[in-house]
Amino acid sequence: MHLLAQDLVNGILAGGILAVVALGFSLVWGIMNIINLAHGAYIMLGAYATYELFTRLHVDPFLSLPISFVLLFTLGYLIQRFLINWVVRAPILASFLLTFGLSLLIVNIALIVWTSDTVGVTTSYSGANFTLATVTVPWVKLYTLIAALAITGIMQVWLTRSKTGRAIRATAMDIGAAQLSGVRVPQIFAIVYGLGAGLAGVAGTLISLSYPINPSMGDPFLIKAFVVCVLGGLGSVEGALIGGLTYGIIESFATQIDVTIGTQHISGSGLQDAIALVVLLIVLMVRPRGIVGRATA
Amino acid sequence: MSSRSVAAALRRAGLGGITGNPVAFAVVLAIMILLLGVPLAHNGYLENVFRNILMYAAMAYGWNLIGGYTGYVSFGNVTFFGIGAYCAGLLSIHGIDNLAVAIVLGALASALFAVLIGIPVLRLQGHYFAIATLGIGLAMADIVANLDALGGSSGLAVHQVDDAHFSIYYYAMWLVAFVAMVGTFLIARSKLGYAFVAIRENEEAAAVLGIWATRYKVTAWAIGAMMAGAAGAVFAPANGFIDPSITFATDANVFPIAMTILGGIGTVAGPFIGALILAGANELLQRYFVKAHTLFFGAMIVVIVLLLPRGLMWLFGLQGGVRTWAKSLTAYKA
Repeated sequence: MHLLAQDLVNGILAGGILAVVALGFSLVWGIMNIINLAHGAYIMLGAYATYELFTRLHVDPFLSLPISFVLLFTLGYLIQRFLINWVVRAPILASFLLTFGLSLLIVNIALIVWTSDTVGVTTSYSGANFTLATVTVPWVKLYTLIAALAITGIMQVWLTRSKTGRAIRATAMDIGAAQLSGVRVPQIFAIVYGLGAGLAGVAGTLISLSYPINPSMGDPFLIKAFVVCVLGGLGSVEGALIGGLTYGIIESFATQIDVTIGTQHISGSGLQDAIALVVLLIVLMVRPRGIVGRATA
Repeated sequence: MSSRSVAAALRRAGLGGITGNPVAFAVVLAIMILLLGVPLAHNGYLENVFRNILMYAAMAYGWNLIGGYTGYVSFGNVTFFGIGAYCAGLLSIHGIDNLAVAIVLGALASALFAVLIGIPVLRLQGHYFAIATLGIGLAMADIVANLDALGGSSGLAVHQVDDAHFSIYYYAMWLVAFVAMVGTFLIARSKLGYAFVAIRENEEAAAVLGIWATRYKVTAWAIGAMMAGAAGAVFAPANGFIDPSITFATDANVFPIAMTILGGIGTVAGPFIGALILAGANELLQRYFVKAHTLFFGAMIVVIVLLLPRGLMWLFGLQGGVRTWAKSLTAYKA
């Protein structure tokens, strides 16, 4: 029983990160209809930004959250303005390949700058944890979850209350009508893609606290971001949050699978991509609009 | 939409009928036949380079059937390459060292897998289909890495013939690419090809006209899978070693797509032209920029998508020169 509770808590703690990972991906997909295959690369850049700030200037990773955001927002804004904007209304193959090419480019630049060696961010509070009943919770992961919840909360308020946020939501609903009401769509697209990259950067910062950092670290999060979006419902903040937490819990339990058939040992922890695919296919068949998605989404 | 009106629509789009420009096809056919002579040079490096080009060409033809002709953007065709490679690997560890058997088995196993996974997955469209296929490739790599019978993540050594007979792999790969090309030509001109294009242009309209879309989509996907599977079955012994990260590499998933776009999507000559240029360029980059060649490859993909989204053949057939070309690039701007 206590193992079950521990898995549940681990799942929720990991799910907070997944929610932030999926948030930016979901915005770009829902509003621009672009599957951003470079999302994993932006996560990796956010993690390295945190690592550099921490090792060189001793900036606490949680304090580097806004710095990661601003750096990656700027990069994303420029990439949308000067590259992706050319194919933003093209058939999906163009944006798919373009973002894949960008991802290859960014990851390989990172390989030259930081090499393929794995590094990590180890703070003074990294090893500390507390025990509640029989469940052990690392402080870092709890702080990460709180930060993740705060970020999704800020995004939700900003999207519903601010002028730009409303313009973004209007563009998502009907581009033509938004344009007629004076929304400058290319500008909004650049802000949305910047936000997507910025949120990926923030996710990278959070990830750097509990996962190893290397240039290909973003890859596994890309397919998970997609599954979380489909699971929760596309293009909404609450969809990303609920999808992230749900998927975190599913993954936490699924990776505990440990069976031996004959001489073949099967362990769920080595099958994360296969688990993601199975969840994806089941959701697409059973409830394609996701947990909180609208029927039209 | 009758087959004649599909052909007329393609001609208007500058694609010169369902198989593309006939001159380009004749040129590609001639180059292919010339390539039969490569082993006569007795240069192992050169043979290796051209075998890679032919391998990518076969994979590009496989992708072209589903992604180009049928319009379903697959990001998982490398799965079939991997299945073909592992068929050859399994045969090898059980002492069967016959290339023809490996090719046939690799192609059939890939087609079978394509049909089984295609029936649920091909119901998805657009982004969902693309990501689901991407996920299939990643999931297969995961599964193979965890199966002891397939060598797990440390891979399998595959038996190779001695140096004197090594060119057999080149000829086998040539045959796979040649059959893929001629097969594409024949399929495109048949009822099958017109059904694929009709689905691409408008799936609902095609269904209304009595085209059973699911059946044709699965057929396109399975025939394409056979091409990639056969290429994988030759690759495994030619490389002498396979593991999940080589045979299910995401890069190998996307290169054939970039090649098909560069050459001309939904044409018979396009995939080969693209493979010749991009696999050739990749080889040169690998030689001169050991560390940074993938970086350049990423940059090439970005440039192709932005500047040559309709491929080289479209560019050559273009009326109106640079102006029309520049204008065409802004067509999809926000």
